[in-house]
Amino acid sequence: MDRLWWHFQQLLKIDAMNLVILVIVVLIGWTIISETIPNPARYLPSPLAVSLSSVDMLVKGLLPSYYSDTLVRLIIGSSIGLAAGIPFGLLLGLNKTVADMFHPMMNFFQSVSGIAIFPIVVIWWGNSDTTVLAVILYTSFFPIAFNVLSGVREIPIRYVNAARTMGASRYQIMKDVLFPGAMPHIATGSRLSIGFAWRAVIAGEMLAGRQGLGWMIFTGQDADRTAEVILGMVMIGLTWIILDHYLLRPIEADTIERWGLVQR
Amino acid sequence: MDDGGREVARARHCCNEIIITGAAMNSMTPKLVVEGLTHYYPDEYTGESVHALEDINLELYEGELVSVVGPSGCGKSTLLNILAGLLPYKIGTASVDGNVIHGPGPDRGVVFQEHAILPWRTVAKNIGHGLEIRRVPQAEREKRVQEFIDLVGLTGFEDKFPHELSGGMKQRCQVARTLCSDPVVMLMDEPFAAVDAQTRITLQEELNRIAMATHKTILFITHSVEEAAFLADRCLVFSARPGRLKEIVKIDIPREQRNWTNMNDNAIFISARDRILASVREEVSIAVEE
Repeated sequence: MDRLWWHFQQLLKIDAMNLVILVIVVLIGWTIISETIPNPARYLPSPLAVSLSSVDMLVKGLLPSYYSDTLVRLIIGSSIGLAAGIPFGLLLGLNKTVADMFHPMMNFFQSVSGIAIFPIVVIWWGNSDTTVLAVILYTSFFPIAFNVLSGVREIPIRYVNAARTMGASRYQIMKDVLFPGAMPHIATGSRLSIGFAWRAVIAGEMLAGRQGLGWMIFTGQDADRTAEVILGMVMIGLTWIILDHYLLRPIEADTIERWGLVQR
Repeated sequence: MDDGGREVARARHCCNEIIITGAAMNSMTPKLVVEGLTHYYPDEYTGESVHALEDINLELYEGELVSVVGPSGCGKSTLLNILAGLLPYKIGTASVDGNVIHGPGPDRGVVFQEHAILPWRTVAKNIGHGLEIRRVPQAEREKRVQEFIDLVGLTGFEDKFPHELSGGMKQRCQVARTLCSDPVVMLMDEPFAAVDAQTRITLQEELNRIAMATHKTILFITHSVEEAAFLADRCLVFSARPGRLKEIVKIDIPREQRNWTNMNDNAIFISARDRILASVREEVSIAVEE
């Protein structure tokens, strides 16, 4: 907790100042471009127009509804993906032969992106919530499982041997050696998985036509409401920055750095 | 000194005989027994069968510290891995307290050459790991852990993580972890090879003190002849590959007298060291010629 607070203070001290300056510069540049081009409402609405549109959507209750739909999908999809992927990677890693066998296959699947599997999933389940959830699950499962498997393979054998000579069972080796030993990979894999899942949610909502931020962007384009498109993009980026900076990174820092496994 | 000399002379003729003599002198049953252990393993790269050990016979008695020296590749580490239960063997037998070795077990504690303490556990948690594995209640565990932290001189470092410790401290931590599980035999695989010379000397003196305090049965594998002579009650010299028990040198110096301030003036130590050195050198030159 102290550490989280420390991170927060650090952010306020340096990053916050730079961030404010950067945001102001971007906003000014954006306004100038939008003021000089013809028909800005269609091509690039000014920040002010986007803010007004967001106020409008807030008042109508559309933005909160879309946003929560998207977030719930992300949370459900990526938690199931992580909850399944971490033990799966650890179990594969228990046996070297099995690990070597599965490694190329896992590498294959983690490279086939969510978008690429979308069509086949639509063929199976149509344009439904199941389809979107399946794609999120798929995109979050493989990066974490692959990373955990790689992590387990990289654990020095002497750690496992040390536990074995103390009479550790397979379960105890997994709990005391493999899981904590793979922690750096679990942390980076989780970030990767959640990042991919976040992209998959948006893409899924667009392609399968389910309500959410992705849907908002898609229909915004269709109905010529460019301000909504930009609003959706900004929400996506901001959500990720907040998630990454205040949740994923502190978790990573709190475990790995303290153990001296990764030095920053 | 004379006695030691005679032992050496006899050992040179037949090392098995000296073991029988040793057993007769010692009425206790041995803690560790190895009989007719021969081992081959496939080379990691070529797949060729490597003859690592040939007909090894040895007995370790309670409270004895026996060191093993020999040229590189003489099978010292193979022997230790077999005894630790990490390497399966087919020919011959090895047993601890009468139980034939099949795989690893808490009756044998191993101190590895490289830092094998877990980076994600504190010093105290690492030392108590063996007891945790055996589900010893926390209160008892903490008491024993503290006892061994104090014994190896890590008091005050209980809550440090391994990356915050020096190389010497990491090895002390490993020794404490092994002792804390109270194994019948402690197997040490070149435990001080990776620390600097100054620390090494200190660690050798510390181990001598710990051996005295705990009365543990220890098999100590090392490259360093000085180290072997300083620590061991008996030093086993292995031949070049395949490793055979070439010679056993007895070093009859009470533990209380073993420290580096006066060891270099100790006639028994000097003669034992020179004897071991000559013996190892002979083997190294054979290994080089091959």
